[in-house]
Amino acid sequence: MRNSQPEPPVSSIVERLPAADSAAPLVGVFEALRPDLLRFAHWLARDRAIAEDIVQEALLRAWRSRGALQDLGAARAWLLTIVRREHARLYERKRLELVSLDDVLETQAAPRYAEADGDLFTLRHAIMRLPLEYREPLLLQVFGGFSTEEIARELTLSTTAVLTRLFRARNKLRVICGMPAANDAAAPESLT
Amino acid sequence: MICEQAQLEIGADPHASTRELDEHLRSCPPCASFSAQMRALDADIRRALDSPPAAAARVRLQKPKAAWREWALAASVLLATLAVLGLWLLRPTDTLAHEVVEHVEKEPQSWTSTHESAESIDKALRGSGVRLDINSDKVTFAASCWFRGQYVPHFVVQTAHGPAQLIILRNVMVAGRRTFHEAGMSGVIVPAEHGSIAVLAHGGAAGVDAMAGEMQQDVHWLADAR
Repeated sequence: MRNSQPEPPVSSIVERLPAADSAAPLVGVFEALRPDLLRFAHWLARDRAIAEDIVQEALLRAWRSRGALQDLGAARAWLLTIVRREHARLYERKRLELVSLDDVLETQAAPRYAEADGDLFTLRHAIMRLPLEYREPLLLQVFGGFSTEEIARELTLSTTAVLTRLFRARNKLRVICGMPAANDAAAPESLT
Repeated sequence: MICEQAQLEIGADPHASTRELDEHLRSCPPCASFSAQMRALDADIRRALDSPPAAAARVRLQKPKAAWREWALAASVLLATLAVLGLWLLRPTDTLAHEVVEHVEKEPQSWTSTHESAESIDKALRGSGVRLDINSDKVTFAASCWFRGQYVPHFVVQTAHGPAQLIILRNVMVAGRRTFHEAGMSGVIVPAEHGSIAVLAHGGAAGVDAMAGEMQQDVHWLADAR
């Protein structure tokens, strides 16, 4: 099964490309960030195999345009952005068909995933259930550390729209976690 | 700053800090409590995202549907429609036809009876409001049968095409001629002056049509059914 195969190292991807000799530090950064990228892609795509495809493709793209990265310290944010775009491209290109999450969750034995912290378990599922329009900015903010303005730029949304989506994402999670919903007085989104 | 604005900003980023927001939080315990809750939730979200999704929803790549699949689907629908249409055409014309067939099936002796007396024929016709111009020798079965809330004359008449069941249905009106095939019998129900008559026979419809034509001539409706 594909999921059980070991992940191909970044160096193996890079070796297939020319002019890899002078970029050893970058390869090291790619290697180091790969687990993060994979986790990010996994939360976005909600599928391990697709996440691996996304990361592989993203790393190839990143390698080809490595000249754009001036500061290795900004590599994480840069790569996360590429991963997000690759995920968006995949959706546009392939039109992913979502299978009911409820069906999947019900058929999967809870003990297998049971965690010591039941609330965290609930929260993970709640995040998974968030529609992409809410999940994506939340991941960019919490996981990627992007500011509201950066997220707005990346998603080509207005700052207000991003704030609204982030508020609503957390509000949904609040409710699922048993807290009362905050009053949603956010204005209808202005997309650009 | 009003509470709703404050909560929107906190909800969007629990760690946001602006002068206005901080001032509001100092003076508004509910919003301060909300802020604390959201910071705690945010910490949990970070912990939750620290590892990959626990239970991954399966997402499949949707392959473009091949054109032949759509044609196959259309063909299936067409076949199903034709099958339903065929069944519909083969069904008894309506409930009345089915009831007539059912009635005849319940009286199998009517087919095998070889003689009926003139008295029995008169008795079957009594009160039906019908006069029958058929030689009694040709009538091999006669009965007054309960059908649809009334007694109706039921005969078996020997014709050139073989025996035919004749049921005279006074006050049972039909809009037009109806043919039907059921239980190995062919039949026709034709409208008549004060109701309708049903004619059934074994075998094909051609004989039945001829029989029905003859019997329409032989059945005379009287004004009074008493």
